[in-house]
Amino acid sequence: MLQRIASGDAAAVRECIDQYGPLVWSIARRLSRTPSDAEDATQEIFLDIWRSAGRFDASQGSDKVFIAMIARRRLIDRLRKTSAEPPMDPVEALETVAWADPGTASETAIEAEQATRALAELRPEQRQVLELGLLHGLSQSEIAARLSMPLGTVKSFMRRGLIKVREYMNVDAKGVLSEG
Amino acid sequence: MVDLLIKQVTEGLSPAEQRALDVLDSEVASAYSRDLERAAAAVMLAGSSTQQPLPAALAERVAQQAAAHFASPPKIGDLGAARAAAVDAARTSAASARPAPRANRSGAYGWLAAAACLVLAIFAWQRSPSPPVAPVAQQTPPPVIAPPAEKPVPPTPAEERAALLAKSDSLKIPLAATKDPAAAGVTGDVVWDPVTQRGFLHFTGLAANDPAVHQYQIWIFDAGRDKRYPVDGGVFDVPANTAEVVVPIRAELMVRKPAAFAVTVEKPGGVVVSGREHVVALGAAG
Repeated sequence: MLQRIASGDAAAVRECIDQYGPLVWSIARRLSRTPSDAEDATQEIFLDIWRSAGRFDASQGSDKVFIAMIARRRLIDRLRKTSAEPPMDPVEALETVAWADPGTASETAIEAEQATRALAELRPEQRQVLELGLLHGLSQSEIAARLSMPLGTVKSFMRRGLIKVREYMNVDAKGVLSEG
Repeated sequence: MVDLLIKQVTEGLSPAEQRALDVLDSEVASAYSRDLERAAAAVMLAGSSTQQPLPAALAERVAQQAAAHFASPPKIGDLGAARAAAVDAARTSAASARPAPRANRSGAYGWLAAAACLVLAIFAWQRSPSPPVAPVAQQTPPPVIAPPAEKPVPPTPAEERAALLAKSDSLKIPLAATKDPAAAGVTGDVVWDPVTQRGFLHFTGLAANDPAVHQYQIWIFDAGRDKRYPVDGGVFDVPANTAEVVVPIRAELMVRKPAAFAVTVEKPGGVVVSGREHVVALGAAG
């Protein structure tokens, strides 16, 4: 689809909006302060997708991860520009996270399944740090303040968590952990 | 370095941190950073199993924006090497972001106060590189040799502007020069159609530019958006010995309520972070 978008295929553009609009919108809502901000962010994210579609390399991951990466970059930019405040109360945020079931995450994207399996190996407090940072846009300092946790511990949890997910993705890419 | 890469991926870097990472940067670091980004995106996907439908009106705006994007020249070339780095550039821009001015503009200040606030707002602009718009259209006389009668003659930008101006719902906003030396003697206006999202800038006295050195860039302040982040209207050039120009505006985002237009002088291709000192024209709506 992304290759077709890069070549200016209007049908592929429509298909992309239909297929990934809910994902982009949901991420934008979670990482924006207001619905209006989320609307602006969604438009900017799709513009980035149109501009970047030509760089998509299927050997580097799924189109869904490619789009999620673009969305994250844009939303991090916007968070840094617009406010030092977190997008929402973290307690509320935690309640809104809908983790994929390890058995069905592959329906979302193979990378989501890999991440789910990696997260399952983390301690609850490590997982909470990743949730607040990656799903709700809190900075490491904000996470430390909210959880009354030393900043160094937050950094350590974030580092170990991301590296764990990365390892699962890389190992799976080599087929070592693939379940066939 | 791993800590910096993780911070870059999770929350972005301060300018000092970005500079530190740039010094350390290498192919290995770049590859590692991409892996971390993929990991972060995967976690986000894993935590987004329940999604909300994209509102129909927003989906339509995105579709319109896509149509405008792919219809704007240069079309697919825009996706080439120079422009394909837009997202990365945007991330880099965040790292060098300056705090935005906190001053607000009162509606009672009048035009001059509005212009002053706009200049302040421009100081904080952080934008993706701008797509080039069509070459500047000069108000030139009709061609000496008329085309064959059976072939329709495409309207010039000046003619398109005139047609737009004739529409009852179009807006005409005067542009005023700033104190920037490059703005000396500049006069002009903006004609904007909020329905079709099309518009034109019309100038006299705007200095010619060398596109290899700098270009003019258009910005649209939308009352429905944060005024620190105006909509990019594209870049344009003014050829030498051109007294009068008409420039089409290429807004890549939907402009709900245009509050003001501005023109700055930027590096070729537009800017990520706008320069502060080269605002050459400003115009505020009503």
